[in-house]
Amino acid sequence: MPSSAVSYQTLAETVRFFRQTWLAFHFRQLTTDMEKSVAVLDKGTTCSSWNYCGQRLATGSIDGTLSIFDSPDPASSSFTTTSKFKVHGAGIVKVVWVPPQYGDAVACIFADGSLSLWEEVAEDARVIQWKLCQSFASRAIKVLDAQFGVFRTSLKMVVAYSDGHVKVYELLDPLELKSWQLQAEFQNVIDSASTSRRASCFSASISWNPLRSESQEPSFVLGFNSDTPHLNSAKVWEFDQAHQRWLPVAELALPADKSDQVFAVAWAPNIGRPYELIAVATHKGITIWHLGLNPDLDGRLSVEKVALLSNFEGEAWQMEWDMSGMTLATTATDGMVRLWQSDLNGIWHEQAAFEPAP
Amino acid sequence: MAITGLPKPPEIHRLTQSKYIDSVRWLPSVSPFQKHVIVAFFDVDTDTPSLEIHSLDPPKPLVPLSLWTPPSRISSLKTTRSVAAASTISGSVHIFVTGVERHDISGLEPVFTVVGKEFHMGSVNGVDLMEGNSECVSVGDDGRVNLVNFGVEGSFGKGSYRKVFDGNGLVSYTAVKWASPSEFVTGGYGFGLQWWDIRRPGEAVGQFKGNWNHGKTSGIIHSIDIHPSRKHTCLAGGSTGTVFAWDLRSQQQPIILSGVGTGETMTHPLSESEVWEVQCDCYIKSSSRGLSSSRILPAMFCSEDGILAVVEQGEEPTELLAEPCAINSFDIDLQNPSDIICSLEWESIAIVSRP
Amino acid sequence: MLAVSSEFGGGTSDSVSGALVPFLPCAEASVVYPLHHGLKPPISRVSISWARGSSLRISLFKSSSSESDADGEVGGKVLEVRLGGDGEMSDAQWRRIAYGSVSPFALLQSRKNSVAGFSKMQLSPSLYHLEWWEYVMEYSKDIDVLLGNSKPLTARVIGDQQEILKNREAPTSVKAAWELMEIFYADKLSKAWLPERLVDWLADYDSLLSSTQTTVHSKLVEFQSQLIKLQIIEDESTYWEVLASALAVGWLEIVVKLLRLHGSYHLDQIAKREIENGLVEAVAVLVSKMPRMRPEIEAGELGECFKAKPDFMKAWERWRAQVTKLDSSAFWVQCTHRLTRGGLRNMLQIMLGNLNVLCSATYHWIELYISHFLYIRPLTRGLENMYNLAQKCLQLKPTSCPDKLARLLIGILGENTEVVLAECSRGFGPWMVSHAIELLTAESNQAGILLHEERHSLGEISMEELHRLIYAQVLSSHVLTWQIAPIYLASCIKQGMGLLEILLNRQPIQDSKILLKNLEICRLYDLDSVSTNIMKIAGVYHWKHGRKGSGVFWLQQAHDERCLNRIAQQLFDYVGKSISGECFLQWEGLIELLGSESKHAGGLEFLHKYRDLKKSLQHFDHGKTVIAAQEAVESLMSLMKNPSTPQRFWLPLLYDSLKLLSWREQPLLNVSQTNLLLNKLQELSMARLRPDFVEADLPPQALNSVRLALATNLGRAILEEK
Repeated sequence: MPSSAVSYQTLAETVRFFRQTWLAFHFRQLTTDMEKSVAVLDKGTTCSSWNYCGQRLATGSIDGTLSIFDSPDPASSSFTTTSKFKVHGAGIVKVVWVPPQYGDAVACIFADGSLSLWEEVAEDARVIQWKLCQSFASRAIKVLDAQFGVFRTSLKMVVAYSDGHVKVYELLDPLELKSWQLQAEFQNVIDSASTSRRASCFSASISWNPLRSESQEPSFVLGFNSDTPHLNSAKVWEFDQAHQRWLPVAELALPADKSDQVFAVAWAPNIGRPYELIAVATHKGITIWHLGLNPDLDGRLSVEKVALLSNFEGEAWQMEWDMSGMTLATTATDGMVRLWQSDLNGIWHEQAAFEPAP
Repeated sequence: MAITGLPKPPEIHRLTQSKYIDSVRWLPSVSPFQKHVIVAFFDVDTDTPSLEIHSLDPPKPLVPLSLWTPPSRISSLKTTRSVAAASTISGSVHIFVTGVERHDISGLEPVFTVVGKEFHMGSVNGVDLMEGNSECVSVGDDGRVNLVNFGVEGSFGKGSYRKVFDGNGLVSYTAVKWASPSEFVTGGYGFGLQWWDIRRPGEAVGQFKGNWNHGKTSGIIHSIDIHPSRKHTCLAGGSTGTVFAWDLRSQQQPIILSGVGTGETMTHPLSESEVWEVQCDCYIKSSSRGLSSSRILPAMFCSEDGILAVVEQGEEPTELLAEPCAINSFDIDLQNPSDIICSLEWESIAIVSRP
Repeated sequence: MLAVSSEFGGGTSDSVSGALVPFLPCAEASVVYPLHHGLKPPISRVSISWARGSSLRISLFKSSSSESDADGEVGGKVLEVRLGGDGEMSDAQWRRIAYGSVSPFALLQSRKNSVAGFSKMQLSPSLYHLEWWEYVMEYSKDIDVLLGNSKPLTARVIGDQQEILKNREAPTSVKAAWELMEIFYADKLSKAWLPERLVDWLADYDSLLSSTQTTVHSKLVEFQSQLIKLQIIEDESTYWEVLASALAVGWLEIVVKLLRLHGSYHLDQIAKREIENGLVEAVAVLVSKMPRMRPEIEAGELGECFKAKPDFMKAWERWRAQVTKLDSSAFWVQCTHRLTRGGLRNMLQIMLGNLNVLCSATYHWIELYISHFLYIRPLTRGLENMYNLAQKCLQLKPTSCPDKLARLLIGILGENTEVVLAECSRGFGPWMVSHAIELLTAESNQAGILLHEERHSLGEISMEELHRLIYAQVLSSHVLTWQIAPIYLASCIKQGMGLLEILLNRQPIQDSKILLKNLEICRLYDLDSVSTNIMKIAGVYHWKHGRKGSGVFWLQQAHDERCLNRIAQQLFDYVGKSISGECFLQWEGLIELLGSESKHAGGLEFLHKYRDLKKSLQHFDHGKTVIAAQEAVESLMSLMKNPSTPQRFWLPLLYDSLKLLSWREQPLLNVSQTNLLLNKLQELSMARLRPDFVEADLPPQALNSVRLALATNLGRAILEEK
């Protein structure tokens, strides 16, 4: 090997590196204090959720306590508990913020399968406090996931239940989070003939299309982790304004994978791509899908599986797209946080991973 | 950078800080060579606010003299010859002795502090002091108007406060300015101004409705100034580049000095964005023929779109500074009105010296 | 899509595509960073959320089963990891650069647009403007000033006799990289003097070439520190080594200054060492007379400057002849100081371009490279030649871990835009890439095509746009810099506005200053739907948090009729409860704000009328004048006639006006008015029988007193009218 190979190697490596990591993360300091602690959580905390602007944190704990963390100033990034109260006898398994157009409110999903909405308001006495707006009690059927979407002037809430049913509620009064109307109820199946009565679902994941324009119809993607194969695969549901009903417009699974249990779904923000981007996690890994914008004659949207990200152990817990929809962050049962990006050739790679260390 | 109207451009010094500047005020100086300023900083890297006194000798950097750490960021800062008042976004008001009689400059501790849910809930948006008066008026988002009495001259440290009005959040006030020892003016949403007389408590004695252009544009008053020699005339600045004067004697008709949506009279407003601060400008140009008492004093304002300018009734405006970023506050040196200090959005301070 | 192999410069492609390139296996793992949380394991679950821009917040939850442990009540932590920063500079420095680059960038973009406008109109832009590269050069200079001290000459200093290197602000590699790109891409004037520009560049930035290995600069710094201790300087071999090194890289002032420290200059020695001193001085003169092909030489700098090649060649030949002549001089024999003789002749060999001597006098390959331009191939032309020369120097001085500046230089010389971009990206971060693209495309069409081509895999955007989006996202990560992200997003034709909308929608609204700054950006970029959304969020926030006035204000600004109508309902309810109370005073400001003619206020017209009635009743109370009384009656009648007045307010209104109805001076209502009111009262009595009737909070005898007052009034009015 000639000694000048050093430079050639540099060049070739650089280009390869560049093509694969065009977003080229540069960590502030690649030392031990790269990360900054922004909040300390109480004992028994099981879940957390940040509001739309990342200025409030809501956490739920195993004993049914909800804690709200605030920073002293919008410019500050250190958060301390400002409210802490017991909301339910059972533990909280998930906290979801209501869109800010409807106030500072959260939906709590409990281990016993019930769901309740809590809101921060100042009553006539002017003391700001959190109060219960609405409670959706559980019986045999549990709430598995709930997500909010804002469309024109209305707020919609999709709730997925353990019997494989999905309910879409609509808020009637923009200033009161207690009056909800059931707008639709259906199962996560493409063909309504295949609805099942005795489904048993362990978890569900819903992700709304983060709409850009007012003209688009509301849509969301939903997948189940259940014992009923045809319920599982992630399906895109779109509201049909003309007939006032929800229709499945795409299924995000190859024929062979349709019965795979879905652990998580995430719909990427679209800042101008000519297609939508959706991530679906199953036991085979994370699949990235391109979803066409324009329906065909049957009203279906074209789908294309562009990547299967499988070089990690365990099941995905959570998937989050960044604000530009270019980077996907995921967590999984192996405790690792991973960042994924597409390169200049359209090939998806793991760009960085974070491993919790004491 | 276009600077018009002045034969000689003003001298400008920019002093880069590594902290955000929430507010800046001149302090009275002992000698013309030793200028002092009080600055409300916010260090975003460490999340710490601070109130600091610096000596100033541009173009040299600021020299810190003393520092105090407030409980939260400073929302409003006012000074007189001997006293400074600072309010915070968490609802407290702090009074400092800053005058020339203050010998020890190493420490900056409030002589009186008011804080508590009974006082203000949420941000105190404005405070004001009056020369020779030991009362500080404060207004807030909560719609409360409070008077903080910090004792008579010479016996600082004993203080109390009393509530003048409680709007219960049904109104919010964003600015306040004393007109006389017993009168002050508040401003708020909808371009409204209220004239208060503490001898007639309970409600405002005069109301100015901000709907002169029939609700086409509405906005918020950010700053009010009243010159001690013209206490019936109130100068106000706010949204959409609006600067206007309100003469108490002809209550419902404002004199628009600058702003959009003001009809045919203003063809080309200097600024169309938020006017963050206004002050009466007593700097007399050498050519000026003296100011008749019937005219409105020239007004200096700074804006979100980076303009520092002087507007005068019936005159072409004079632009002193045009920055690529917002000018968030400014102060005219009362001892030497040719000097102006401004705080810029991009973590820097600009000193403008007019010829 | 460009293939790697085709992109490499001529003559090298065979080696690249061949097996010589040791590509790592493709599926290698990405970097794993440890996240230090300081919690006692086990961690039961991890949750993530993107915060501002490209900050990622990671919540770590401890397993709740582990009961008693060292962490006490701590059940987890939230960590924030910021991606896309720069390790070399502090946050504050970085922000200063971010602020400062806004104006040059925006100016260049607007010029680009106007030039594009000219070419659309088929006018030659050069007829009206400067050449494009001159604009880019102005931009480049503005940015360069921003990156640090603008007078960073390492060596050209005459000051303290013992001071060879001037202490100065440490140069930054960002500035070094920027200037390197400026030399090659933007500065058309420097094309003819590229080698000399590189000589100057090295003089400024030699210290950055390596932090671990020796450079000419580090050697000089080391020697400087020993200088005070040295008695007889010419007896030190390092003295001669340093002299050779400084000469090799062309730091002539340092060389001459060092030579003059030679002992033979001492007054007490000069007589004894005349020949020796003559030789030292002769070398010093030759060094200071070295011909340089460059446009100018700054004051205090040595060498003779020639602008034209023929003049330079003539001078160069003459100078080389003088060097050769001195080298073969007979005086050397008479020079008794061995080290002086050896050292000086070594320097002559450098000036004569002896490769071996140059090799040993220099440390880093770039230093050797620069010495080639000075003494071996002063007329090197063309990037291909320069690239080959660099390869040669790399062979002579191989390096195990090439520094980022060296890698960038090779990328530039190799004429590979993609490599240059990649080096900018990995060495200097998103700021550098998004700003350096302007330099890369200043001249080269090829780079322009590469950077402006829209790629499907990127969502139909170009690399240029992609890098601006990435930089904007990094800017969005910080609370003080997000406001300048729109400037860059505005230059992203396809996806900029989409990202800007998301950015604006995610800003906090609690602080009114931030809110207004946010709305100002919406106004500048005509994002009405975003500002409406933001104002609605602010309105609901304030309304629900006890600041009803600001809530109504923002909802009005947002034209949110649905919410305002609901609020009108709530106000009715509130007023209905306490209509007789004095606390109505407090509502005045709010009602004032709602504005009488605002169509958005819905049924609030009633409240205005009610306020007017209250006022005139007060006047009446104070003065008891007929005029005041009549005004009050008019208000009352207009309220009672108005269909928008809710029925449940009828009785409270009448009860409030009891004094009017029963005024002793004269009956204030005429017969028809009184009848109308009596009818209303009758209607009310009927309505009370319905189950949904809301009883006003009034004394039980209220209805009767009103009825009685009205009856009395009717009687008096009938008498009056007769």
